[in-house]
This record gives sequence, C-alpha cells and structure tokens, in this order.
Amino acid sequence: MLGGTDSMQNFELYHSYTPKTAFGLHAMRFEDGRNDDLFAGLQHNWLLKRWNLPDAQANVYFGVGAGIAKEEGNSWSPAGLGFFRADYETRRIFTAFETKLVGSEDVSRGVTRASIGFAPYKAEFEQLNTWLILQLEHVSGMEDDLAIIPKIRLFKGNYFLELGCSLEGAPLANFMVHF
Amino acid sequence: MNHPVILSLIGAWLFATATAHAAPDRAMTVKASVDGMVCSFCAQGIVAHFKKHKAVSNVHVDLTRKLVILEEKKGSSISDREITDFIRKSGFEPKKVERSTEPFTQVKAARK
Repeated sequence: MLGGTDSMQNFELYHSYTPKTAFGLHAMRFEDGRNDDLFAGLQHNWLLKRWNLPDAQANVYFGVGAGIAKEEGNSWSPAGLGFFRADYETRRIFTAFETKLVGSEDVSRGVTRASIGFAPYKAEFEQLNTWLILQLEHVSGMEDDLAIIPKIRLFKGNYFLELGCSLEGAPLANFMVHF
Repeated sequence: MNHPVILSLIGAWLFATATAHAAPDRAMTVKASVDGMVCSFCAQGIVAHFKKHKAVSNVHVDLTRKLVILEEKKGSSISDREITDFIRKSGFEPKKVERSTEPFTQVKAARK
C-alpha cells in the first residue's frame, strides 16, 4: 500500500505467509511545520479474530514492528511500532478503527483513524466497487492534529484506490494492489 | 422369492452407484456456499487459485448468493475437502458444497 496526505506518507509491502499472519516492510514520513519524522522497519501483523457471518465480516488485527526512526537534523535511532485495527463490513456498510504508534529516542507519533462508509450500490465480483467514506484522523505531534476527511474508495480486481480531501483542503491518496 | 425383482433392484443400485462415483463424462458444476464473503477485493485469491487448478475450467464468485461456482473439466474432479480447505485458507467460512450437471453458464446466470 502506498499513499497518505500532504503531512503523512505511508508505504507498506506485506507477504501473507499464512491466512492469519503477514510480514513485511513499513515506512512512514510525518511532515509538519515543526519537524519531519521518518520511520522505516519490518512489521509483523496477526489476524487475532475473524467473524465470518452470512452477510458480514468483522476482523481484529494486531501488529508490531521494529526499525529505525529519526527526527530531521538528528541521527537514526532504534524504533518500535505498535498497530491495532478492528473493522466490520457488509456489502453496504463499512466501519473501521485503527491506531498506530511509533516511538524512538527522538520520535513519538501516534496515528488514530475512525472510518464509516457506505456503498451506494452492491457491486458484484467483477464490477467496480465504490465506497463513500468519512474518515476522522488524529496524528499526534501535528499542528492541526485532527482531520476530517471525506474520501471515495474504488476497487476492481486486484487494484484499490482511495482519493479524498480533508475539510482543510489537504489531499489524500492511497493505492493498493494484491499480487 | 421373486428373483427378477431382486436382480432388477441390485442392477439399478449398481448402476446408480457406478454413475455417482465414476469421473463424469460431462462437466460438473460445483456450488460452494460461503459466509463472510462480502468484499470482492478480499476474494480475488479464491478465483486466482481455482483458475489455476488442473481440474477446474471456470470459476465465478457470486457475492449476492454467497457462492463460489466452479466448472470441473470433463473427466476431472476436485474434492469437496480441497474446495472447503482453500476457502477456509482464504479467510472465509465454507458452508456447503453441491454438485450438479447444470451447465456452469446457467448456474452463473441464475439469480435468487
């Protein structure tokens, strides 16, 4: 997955080696008026619980990462990452909550998101899926630390694209592909 | 004892058993009902896997009917166990596997 906003960029590349585990690379950049922070590391994610219901699916994920981070002007130092996500979706409704914490000697960032969305139509497997989503995003350490981001999510086949814009006018784009 | 009746019944049973177990000459269609399959992006792996399977000639996912529909190649067969194992491995919950001689295109086109 590749994407982010003007103040935070994110790159993730995972290999799901079992149905409940994924391991890969994770890099983040936080950019604001005060300082820029960077993180790069390896992350392992676990699907802790999945509920497969007749018309819905719900999931709880947990992840940890280890790598290096730096604040602009300082040197790299060892860093850790923690990740939690819970989601619930039907073919018409989507909700998700996730939080990600990155910490090192110089860097301390937390990203928390809550999303709710709906699909204007029930797309079949080979059709373009469209979701209209409202995302609340809090990034600790930012000057404007709470953003309300309406976004559109589109996916078809193995390709996934999200485009949005915060109420303050900051654009958002995310792209994901399944190999 | 009425031998012709008994022999006829045994013959009918043998015919039915042989028909049920032999690899069919015509392509069979398999319908696997699945719980939790609400997102096509997440179910792509199912299609990719079964498309490459040597006993399968066609695959379709029907999110509305919660079905994975497979067409077996003539003379080939994929076991129910293999189907349910892979669906479970993909993160979904298989419920029931049914087979019919109804053509794949008809099963795919059918609606609730």
